[in-house]
Amino acid sequence: MKQVIKILFSPTAFAVGFLWPLVAQTLIATNTIGTGWQVWMIAALIVTPFAASAQLRGSWIWIR
Amino acid sequence: MDQVADQTVTLENWDELTDDQLDVLERKIAAKYMRIVPWGAVTWGIGNTLLWLSLWPLVLLDILPLWLGFIIATFNCTLAYLPSHEAQHSIIAGKGKPLRWLNELVGHVSLIPFSAPFRVMRATHMAHHKHTNDPELDVDYDTTARNGWHFLYKSILRRQPGSKSKEAYPAALARTGQSHLMLDILIVNIFFLAVLFGMAWTGHAIEAALLWWLPKNISLVYIEHYLSWMPHHPGKETSRYRDTRAFKSKLGNIISMGMQYHIIHHLFPRIPLSQHPAVYREMKPILQRKGCDLGAL
Repeated sequence: MKQVIKILFSPTAFAVGFLWPLVAQTLIATNTIGTGWQVWMIAALIVTPFAASAQLRGSWIWIR
Repeated sequence: MDQVADQTVTLENWDELTDDQLDVLERKIAAKYMRIVPWGAVTWGIGNTLLWLSLWPLVLLDILPLWLGFIIATFNCTLAYLPSHEAQHSIIAGKGKPLRWLNELVGHVSLIPFSAPFRVMRATHMAHHKHTNDPELDVDYDTTARNGWHFLYKSILRRQPGSKSKEAYPAALARTGQSHLMLDILIVNIFFLAVLFGMAWTGHAIEAALLWWLPKNISLVYIEHYLSWMPHHPGKETSRYRDTRAFKSKLGNIISMGMQYHIIHHLFPRIPLSQHPAVYREMKPILQRKGCDLGAL
C-alpha cells in the first residue's frame, strides 16, 4: 500500500497523469504543431526532462 | 487595578500605568471583540467555494470564457484560506456551542478550492501559534526570508518534490499525537490528483490547469507571503509581543487580506479578522508600551 501511495504521488505519475496531456493539449489548442501522434511525442519530449529532474533530483527546475 | 480596568481606553495617562495595569486593559479591550460570530466569514467561505464550483460547468459548457474562469478561480483559491482560519480558531463557534456544526462546515467547505484538509490545517496552525518563529517547531518557519525576492525564491523551492519543508506538517502531527490526520492529507490529495488526471485524460487538461492547479499554486505563494512571511518578518523573536508585527501594506488592508493587523491575531486568536483594525486602534498605546514592532501602521 505504501508503495502504491509513493508511486501515485511521484513526479513521474504527475508528469504522465497531468503534465503530458496538458502540454499536448496546449500545443493542439495553440496550433503550434498540428494534431496527431506527433504532438504527443513532442509533448513527451518536453515533459520528460522536467519529470526526470523531479524524480531523480527532487526538483522540477533542477535548483533545489 | 479594578479602577483602571473600568476606565475608558481613551485615557490620557498611559505612561502612568504599570505593566500589570496595561495587561488588564489589554484583556479588557480584547474581551469586547470576542464572542462575535463572524457571519461575513461564514458567507465568504461557503459562497467563495460555491462560486468556484460553479466555474467548472460554466467553463466546460462554454458559457464562461476560460481566461475569465482562470482569473475568478485564482481569486477563489486565494480567498479560500481565511474563512477556514476563523474556523480553525473556533471563532464561529467553540466546542459545545449550538453553532459548532457551522464552524466545522465552514472550516471544511471553504478549503475545497485550496485542496487542503481542515483538521490538518487546524492542528498544524495551532503548532504555529504555540511555537511562532521557532526554527524547529514552527511549521511555517520555512517562509522566513531576507526580502520579497528571497521569499519568492524559497517559495518556488518549497514547491519542489524533494523540498524538506514538506516534512514540517507531518512532523508536527507526530509531535502532537495526531498522526492519524495523515489520512486526511492522503484523501484530499488523492481527490485532487484524481480530478487533475481524470480531466487531463478526458481532454480537459487546460481547464483543470487553469481552474485549479495554477490558481492553487499562485494563491499559495500569495497566502504564504501575506499570512506567513510579512507578519512574522524577520522571524527571529519568539516572545508574545515580538513574534508577530504590524505593518503598513503598500497594497492596503483588503488586498493584504487584513494581515497588517496580524499582531492582534497572535495576541488574541479568538477575535474575528474583521475586528482586528478596531482592536488595533484601541490597543495601539498598549502595544507601543509593550515594545511591539508596529511599523508605520
